[in-house]
Parts: sequence; C-alpha cells; structure tokens
Amino acid sequence: MIETLPPAFILIVGAVLLACLPGRVRPTAFIVLAALAFAQTLRLSDGARLTSTYAGFDLVLLNVDQFNRIFGIIFGLIGVVAGIYAWHVRSRGEQVVAMLYAGGALGVTYAGDFMTLLFYWELMAVASAGLIFARNTGESRAAGFRYLLVHLFGGSLLLGGIIWHQIEYGHMEMLGRLDPQFTGAWLILLGVALNAAIPPLHSWLPDAYPRATVTGAIFMSALTTKSAVYVLLRLFPGWEILVWGGVIMALYGVVYAVLANDIRQILAYHIVSQVGYMVAGVGIGTALSLNGTAAHAYSHILYKALLFMGAGVVLHTTGKSKLTELGGLGRYLPLTLWLFMIGAFSISGFPLFNGFISKSIIVSAAGYDHREAVMLLLLLASVGTFLHTGLKIPVFTFWGPDSGLRPKAVPRNMHLAMGVVAFLCIFYGVYPAALYQLLPYPIDYQPYTLAHLIEAVQLLTFTFVGFWILRSKLAGESFIAIDTDWFYRRGLRGIGSGLVTAVNTIFSAGVRAREAVVGFVATQAVNPYAPPVSPGQPVPVFNENEHRPPVGRALALTVVFLLLLAGLLLARG
Amino acid sequence: MKTWHWIVLVIPTVVTIGLQLFGPEHPHPHAWDVIPGFYVIYGFVGCVLIIVVSKALGKGALQKREDYYDD
Repeated sequence: MIETLPPAFILIVGAVLLACLPGRVRPTAFIVLAALAFAQTLRLSDGARLTSTYAGFDLVLLNVDQFNRIFGIIFGLIGVVAGIYAWHVRSRGEQVVAMLYAGGALGVTYAGDFMTLLFYWELMAVASAGLIFARNTGESRAAGFRYLLVHLFGGSLLLGGIIWHQIEYGHMEMLGRLDPQFTGAWLILLGVALNAAIPPLHSWLPDAYPRATVTGAIFMSALTTKSAVYVLLRLFPGWEILVWGGVIMALYGVVYAVLANDIRQILAYHIVSQVGYMVAGVGIGTALSLNGTAAHAYSHILYKALLFMGAGVVLHTTGKSKLTELGGLGRYLPLTLWLFMIGAFSISGFPLFNGFISKSIIVSAAGYDHREAVMLLLLLASVGTFLHTGLKIPVFTFWGPDSGLRPKAVPRNMHLAMGVVAFLCIFYGVYPAALYQLLPYPIDYQPYTLAHLIEAVQLLTFTFVGFWILRSKLAGESFIAIDTDWFYRRGLRGIGSGLVTAVNTIFSAGVRAREAVVGFVATQAVNPYAPPVSPGQPVPVFNENEHRPPVGRALALTVVFLLLLAGLLLARG
Repeated sequence: MKTWHWIVLVIPTVVTIGLQLFGPEHPHPHAWDVIPGFYVIYGFVGCVLIIVVSKALGKGALQKREDYYDD
C-alpha cells in the first residue's frame, strides 16, 4: 500500500488537515506534511502503479517511471523549501491553497491516464489562482480572475483533446508520444502549451506572478510551467514545432525582460525564456536533449525559486518591487543580496553553478543534432539571461543610488530557505552526477570540457562589458509593456462590447415589450371591485362602505335581466 | 569601474583566446569555432543587440503608461 501511495493524496488530505489546525502550529504542520510527500516521492520506485475505476473509466492514479521520477522529486523538495520560506505566514487560506496546488502538481506528475491528469490539472489552476487572490489587492483580484479564466480555457482545450483521444483510441491511458497525424493531439498540445507559457499563450504568467503573494510566487514559479514541461516531455517528444516554439520563447522572454520594471515581472519573463530551452529540448527529441529538458527543469526550479525568494524578501521588507523605486539596498540586505546572486549566477550558466550543467546539455544536444541556428539563438538567450537576472536586477536593486528605503527585519526562515536552495544550486553545479543519475535516459555527458568553459567565460565576460557600456539604458522605467494579454484586456473590448451591447439592447427591448404586455393585461384583468390602486401610492385598505359597490346596482341589473327574460318568453308566446 | 576591475576582465579573455589559438582542438567544432574569440564578439554584439532592439520595440510599440489598462 505504502509503495503505491500517491504523494498527491498526502498533500490533499494534508490541506484538509491544515484547514482545521490553529495558526500557531499550521506553518510547522505545512513543512511536516510537505516533507512526508517529499519522502514519498523518494520512496516510489519505477513501475509502481495504482489503478482504480470511476464512472466506468479505468484510472491510473499513480504510474512511476523514469520520466516522472525526477519531476516528482523536485516538486516534492520545493514544497518543503517553500514551506520553510513561508513559515512566518499565518493566513489559513493561503496555506491551504498552496498545499492543494503542490498536491495538484504531484498528481499531474504521476497521473497515468488523461482523466486523472485533467482532474489534477484543474486543481492546480484553481488552487494557484488562490495564491494570487490571497495578495488581497484590487490589482491582484483582477489579475487572479484573468489567470483563472485563461487557465480554465486551457483546461477546456485539454479536455476537448482528451475526449477526442477517447473516441479515437477507446481508452484514456497516457501511453507515450502522441501521433502528430491525430488531430486531437494538437488540442492537447494547445492546452499543455498554455500552461508551459509558450507565446502567444504565455501572457497569464508575467501578468499574474508579480501580483501573487510573496510566498505564493515561489510555488507558482516552480510548479505550473514545469509540470507542463513534464507532460510535453511525455507526450510530444520530437515534435518539430516545439523546437522553434522553444527558441522563440527563449528570446521572447529576454526582450520583454528589458522592458519590464517590476523585479518579479523580470523574473517571470525569464521563466518564459528558460522554459523555452526545455521546450526546445523536447522538440529536438534525442535522448540527450530530453535528458537536458529534465535536468534543466530540475535546476531551473531551484535557482528560480531562489531568485523569487530574493525578490520576495525585497518586497516583504520594503513593500516595493519596481526598479524605479528600488536602489542601494545591498547595504541593508547583504545576505539576501549574496543568496540572490547565487541564483543569478546559476540561471546565467556560470561554471560551478547548476544552470551551467543543465543548460549546456540542451545547447550541446542542439549542436550534436546539427541545428546550428538553434544553438546560436539559445546562446543569445543566455546572454540576455545574465544581462537581466545577473546584472540589471541586482545593480538597480542592491547597488545604485540609495532609494531611501530602509528594509524591516527579514524573517530568519526566509533566509534559511534561501540558504538551502543556494546550497543545492552550488552542490549540483559542483557535483552534476547527483542530478544526472536521476535523468530519464542513461547519460554520458561531461559539462566541464575546455570548450564549454571557454564559451561560457567569453560570453559572460563580454555580456558584462556590453551591459556596463549601455547600463543607463537598462534602468527601470515607469512604463508597462503590452503583451498578448492586450487582446483580452483591451483589443477584444470593441468586439466584446459589440457582442455584449448588441445582445443587451435586444434583450432589454424584449424585456420592455414583455413588461408592456404584462402591464396592459394586468390593468384589464384587475378585479373591478378592488379599491383603485394608483402607482406609487400605498395599496388602500378595503373599506366595505367606501369600496363596495352599492346594492342597488346589483338589484337594477337583476330587474333588467328579469324584464328581458320575461319579454323574451312573451315574444315566443 | 576601477582599473583593476577591467584587468580582471581582460585576463580571462586573453587566456581563453590563447587556449583557442594554441590549446587542444575543439572536440565537436562548429563553423564558427575557427574564429578565435568568437564568443567574445557574440556576447558583446548579442548584448548590445538585445538592449537596442528591445528598447526600439518598446519605444516603437509596446510601452504604455502604467495606468493603460485601468480605464
């Protein structure tokens, strides 16, 4: 039983338990429950399987193999670390939805059939929206609703594809790569691509993540896009469209990160960029590139969580997150600065940090597959990554002119969580074999070759030189950059209002016509003996002396009737 | 930046270009690997291009007032 217990069950039952616990013990209970789920991801071995039936469908609630093992472990691990980072939070709702969300991600990871996948997919969407609503500002509520609607749309695409799959193949099981000839697979791809934030379906991410709670953003940065990457890895390896989708993503995020002003939005655009490497790895589809995708997802979750934690400390202690409002904080937050820089060195692919040992697998795989253009464009995206995350954010947040902000004390648990993740970023960078042994396929890859080191040193050094010369151009500006969310926030307004206004006009004309008819019938059907009612006046109390018609009127009618009857009878003779 | 900062940047550049010229051959060379210091050029030009192109896109089309979506 314990060998096949889905970790998602621990977290979902745990969420119910958390909801009942008092605030004092809840943060600790969160960590303990997350640790139990993490321990379970480590215990599960390849081939573990748990099946059930529901409404005539065969469900595979748990199916462990070499593809999902690594994703399960990192999702389990990040739940524990994010729990430590959020230890000072006392908000019941936020803690419960965070745990449900982590449960959803682990459910998606181990789901063996499409029904189970869809259930956990929607659970993730709803629970993670809660982490945006929990920020409790007008802006975050609006962003939360947009996020929820976009994800429900994606879930519907997925559902459509799943139903099509059932019709086409007569079963729901996820048996591996989908055939591009099967049209329903494209619907599934669109649904998954939305969660993986592939442009133009990505704009929910930089819209929502900067508006989530400080601690909620850690869960979000780790779970939604990477669980979608896992599903891509399982269902769409070698789909050529993903190679270019991934390359476009990698550069798209870089361009928008130049324009963004909010530090968490810069980091969010770099999720799009980094996930681009993973998507390209799926598209290339060789054993090495798929290994690269899995490895980079693992590394990315660690360093991106670390970066969001650093940005979260800035926001938590100063209440600000825009570059235009920040500056000179390094003096007051030295530990945060250096922990953040470890994340920045990792994402930028500095040797001895974990980004280097995973990103280089994908870039090398593109090279071995003779995709020179892909390789060069991915290297260009690395330049942008260092430029923003390694240089722009720290220079304008921690150095630069003093903004006058005096950060309040940092909760120790925040730094502890950052320290754990920073340690892991360096650990895997120095000892890549620890990560490589978890990969889906056996790997014989050496990241620390002379050629790789020369490449990294030259690229990074001269990215810095370029930055230093043009640094004044990169200072934050009090603008927003419109992205594809423009279409549902602004562009569709004309069409939307056309549809809504026209329908409303017809509908209200109908309502008015109906009310006129009803009003006319009502006046005709009124009791002639009831007291007269005038509009706007209270209904008068019936007074028999005043309102009852005189008896004489009835008698007169009776007499007239009798006379007529008599006359009629006489006439008939 | 002080002078010694620049020296810190020059040393790895010179060393890596030297290794490309006189060190062991690249195990899986691509067309561009024949150019010594290729990644020096690529890193610098790429960095400048990213900044200039993105800023041009921003100024030309994408950047709006912060309250753009509010009304």
